[in-house]
Amino acid sequence: MQKAPHVTDYLTRHCADDEYGCLRGFEAQGGYRAAHTALREMTPQKILDEVRQAGLQGRGGAGFCAGLKWSFMPAPEQQPSYLVCNADESEPGSFKDRLLLERAPHQLLEGILLAARAIGAQKSFIYIRGEYAEAARVMQRAVDEAHAKGYLGDDVMGSGFSHDVVVVRGAGSYICGEETALLESLEGKRGHPRVKPPFPAQRGAFDRPSTVNNVETLCHVPHIIGRGAAWFRSTGTEKSPGTTLFGVSGHVVRPGLFELPLGTPLDEIIFEHAGGVADGRKVKGVIPGGLSMPILPAGELDVAMANEFLQEKGSALGTGGIIVMDDRTCMVRTACVISEFYRAESCGQCGPCREGTAWINDIVTRVERGTGTAEDLELLVDICDGMEGQTICAFADAAAWPVRALLKHFYADFERHVREGVCSFSGSFQL
Amino acid sequence: MATAAGVACEAEIVRITVDGLEYRLHAGPSLLAALDQIGVLMGEVDIPHYCWHAKLSSDGSCRLCQVEIDGQTGLQTACNTPVRDGMIVHTRSEAVVRARQTVLEFLMLNHPLDCPVCDQAGECKLQDYAWRYGAPNSRSREPRRKLEKRIDLGPGVVLDRERCILCRRCVRFCREIPRTGELAVFGRGDRSVIGLFPGVQLDNAYSMNVVDLCPVGALTSRDFRCKARAWQLESVEGVCGGCARGCNIWLDVAKGEVQRYRPRRNDAVNDTWMCDAGRLSYAEIARSDRLDKAWIRNQESVLEPVSVASAISEAARMLAGLVAEKGAGVIAGIASPHATNEDLFAFKRLLDEIGTENSGLAVPHGEADELLICAEKAANATGARAIGFEDARSLLERIRGGGVDGIVILGHDILTAGYLDDETLLGKIDSVILIDTHQSSLMRVAQVVLPARHLAEKAGTLTNCDRRVQRVRPALAADSELLTEGEIVHRLALALGLNGFEAGYDLPRVSRSLAAAVPPFAGITIESLPSDGAQLVSDGGEKGAVR
Amino acid sequence: MVISKAIRDQIEAENANYPRARGGLLAALHRVQREYGAITPEHATALAPIFDMTAVEVLAVVSFYDMLSSQPAGRHQVRVCTNLSCSLAGAREFLREIENHLGITRGETSADGRITLGHEACLGACANAPMMRVDDRYYEDLDTESARQVLDALD
Repeated sequence: MQKAPHVTDYLTRHCADDEYGCLRGFEAQGGYRAAHTALREMTPQKILDEVRQAGLQGRGGAGFCAGLKWSFMPAPEQQPSYLVCNADESEPGSFKDRLLLERAPHQLLEGILLAARAIGAQKSFIYIRGEYAEAARVMQRAVDEAHAKGYLGDDVMGSGFSHDVVVVRGAGSYICGEETALLESLEGKRGHPRVKPPFPAQRGAFDRPSTVNNVETLCHVPHIIGRGAAWFRSTGTEKSPGTTLFGVSGHVVRPGLFELPLGTPLDEIIFEHAGGVADGRKVKGVIPGGLSMPILPAGELDVAMANEFLQEKGSALGTGGIIVMDDRTCMVRTACVISEFYRAESCGQCGPCREGTAWINDIVTRVERGTGTAEDLELLVDICDGMEGQTICAFADAAAWPVRALLKHFYADFERHVREGVCSFSGSFQL
Repeated sequence: MATAAGVACEAEIVRITVDGLEYRLHAGPSLLAALDQIGVLMGEVDIPHYCWHAKLSSDGSCRLCQVEIDGQTGLQTACNTPVRDGMIVHTRSEAVVRARQTVLEFLMLNHPLDCPVCDQAGECKLQDYAWRYGAPNSRSREPRRKLEKRIDLGPGVVLDRERCILCRRCVRFCREIPRTGELAVFGRGDRSVIGLFPGVQLDNAYSMNVVDLCPVGALTSRDFRCKARAWQLESVEGVCGGCARGCNIWLDVAKGEVQRYRPRRNDAVNDTWMCDAGRLSYAEIARSDRLDKAWIRNQESVLEPVSVASAISEAARMLAGLVAEKGAGVIAGIASPHATNEDLFAFKRLLDEIGTENSGLAVPHGEADELLICAEKAANATGARAIGFEDARSLLERIRGGGVDGIVILGHDILTAGYLDDETLLGKIDSVILIDTHQSSLMRVAQVVLPARHLAEKAGTLTNCDRRVQRVRPALAADSELLTEGEIVHRLALALGLNGFEAGYDLPRVSRSLAAAVPPFAGITIESLPSDGAQLVSDGGEKGAVR
Repeated sequence: MVISKAIRDQIEAENANYPRARGGLLAALHRVQREYGAITPEHATALAPIFDMTAVEVLAVVSFYDMLSSQPAGRHQVRVCTNLSCSLAGAREFLREIENHLGITRGETSADGRITLGHEACLGACANAPMMRVDDRYYEDLDTESARQVLDALD
């Protein structure tokens, strides 16, 4: 089971407590109170409005307003419709949903109940990445407990609302975190993202209207409903309210999870919360939001961790997975690791992505080995241009952004490989 | 602004502008589909595409069909952008040109440069588009991906995985059209390949359509492999004679021979498909059992070769003798469902003018399916019936009763249709005159044998199972000794001195007479027939008595 | 029977959770692989009618997912995460040491059929590298010695 966060707030306050994973322990901390009240006393529209007013942004990477997404669902008469919880956490550098699944399963179930009520879904599917076997076991146990207690099934908590939750395991594919690829996978297919429109709210899981929400997104919902939109907005920034779970990994003294308000400065997270860079070294670059997000050089760490500020720096919050690299790091090797990943995980559907991810990986691997040329470096930028915005889903963009950013901020590293015909970053991590 | 093209139907018509030209079209599911419906796609509107196909579900993955639409940010794929009224589309803007170039560069990265030995060269969409829209040079220095170069997918189709661009048309075809679903994409990312289930072959009745669908040389026809280069082929419009569907085809000719049949699009008949049996039936044209000369049985009862003119004279002499001796009632005719409407009309008139009502038709039957393949294994049984030929069974009864002394037989369907086990019964007839494209055991009882042209060698019309009249044109030049059934019976009629047969066989005139004389054919003449055919006038008049 | 009655019953019970049986496919594939070591063409043929699919589609799905295999593999699946966070913490040297210890390279199965070794795209344990997954279990904050102990204890 994953270690509890170093810094906690409302989402993770009780995550260190093993009892919190059981229904009794969860209820002892006030769990399911929001659901008890809301299912009986709030209309679905009221729940939706509250979440919308709270300005809850999706925590899965795209940061889309959750309440707005819910509002795209058709009128509840259009049954059946589904809520799909995206627990396919696979963005390298991200490990927050795993914690929420393993240590606070009922918090997620409560969020699911409220969200499902708001959008009128009669059934939810929690699609958990296949490798998270422990999380799937814990979630299934929680679902069974909730069923036994009447918190799932017919007439939940005597509210007249009925809801079932199915725990689904993925089978090893990063792209299934893309919401329409996830829906395909949920339907027992290869995880090829769908052409949009139609959007999931029009035709989602099993051809029915569906909403796909990330684990953490749903975990915020009981707190918003329990304490109100105004309370939620009292933390974080005006545009990005609430806390989030920042995951810090790489060259820091204290890697791990930190639940902090959105807008917490990146340098504060790295140097205060995560203890700074180990061995007294300096930061060279930081990926602020999971592998797909453009890297920031050491000089740009004084940024508030919220989309509106990160975007000014040419990056984004993504999943809040912060990867710190110290000054020994070879950024060409970094590009090799990153491009190897996207090459392995491209679904292969669209030509520019299938071929572009492989081409980038071939070139950066050659540059790392010392046989790259100056033209190769220009070509890499052109390849990124040719991939971004050219495909069915955003995977190709996610594959191109980090490479483009590495070239932009650490061009000298690439140039040095070309000039010297060898990688001379002897202190860097090994490939 | 000129109106370049339009549609007649007023329902759900929208106007859009493409590169400054206005089009009126149906609010279709996608821009490509709507442009395709009015017949301008890849004509005046040039939107290159690989994965999209008019008769398959939309895929959206090749990314080549991107266009710019006013008011929308970025480029849109024309294959899944619905047509909206007032849409202004640009297919030649700088952004579009750049996007195409990029997509093509990606697809060319790992595509082998084996065009000199690739069967698809000359009709390859990757070659065409790379030439037209691509960058002149590849910027890649990486070695090309190595994959299997020859996988025998089934009896008809060979796969070269290196050439595949993963448009998945073949996969969708097998799932959606024959619904056999043999093919799938295996693996992920740049390891994706097309493949089969272990031990299973791509062996459905329509398997070779994937060869036409494949925009590159990844799927090639085992039959056509290495036979001819695309640029050597001359393509002639025709109709397949394999069954009553009458699938529209191209006859691809090189070196004086038909090298292959390919389906030709006709949405009213075969969409863009044809069955493998029909596709491979071109082989019968040059088969060794083709009849290529006329024969007369000599006094030793042995067939000896003669000129066509002599054979026709001998046939006329025999028939005239019988009519003079026993009356026209002892003469009979058996029509071929393979012959054209014009051939059959000439034949019907011959019999009518001789004054006999003894005629019949035998149609071979076989397997049918719900897609294209018809049980009637001949192209023109419907036409033969419309012109007035009825089932041959009652005629055979009359022959058994000894009431027939002279008979003119077109084709040998009476045997292949199973009406007779062998030629014995016809051996009872004094004078058997056989007009056929291929040898058969009927020759053993024939006094006169006349060779006829194959469908690939003549002009005319055929009436398919849905009563659609369609035109064929000669793809091959025939020998002067090889005539159509129509011309042979016309000359026979002249030799017999029958009424109403003018000197010189003129096909358009025969066609006009057919239109005038047989009510279902009213208004349908070979010269006025649209390229996608026309329906017979009424449903009822199968008998279609000659006026 | 290629797939036992008991497994088939479990599959059909799981399928009832979905509006269409095919929703249960991944669960069924996990189950078959756990029970029989791989999803062979014979298994695919047996599964296809349950899910209203063709057998080739079943194998095509299997080929898409890293955790599924149509080829029999070792009794234990060992996967070392080598994505960026883990690489920064020395995961690639760690993997090489494991390769040396087991005498196989990634993608291979040990001669005794005990272990199939591979590397993984990211296992969501970025703060606890190096780490590895052994079947359904995570081992985090490893060093070569502790990893050897885990591997040597496998049956």
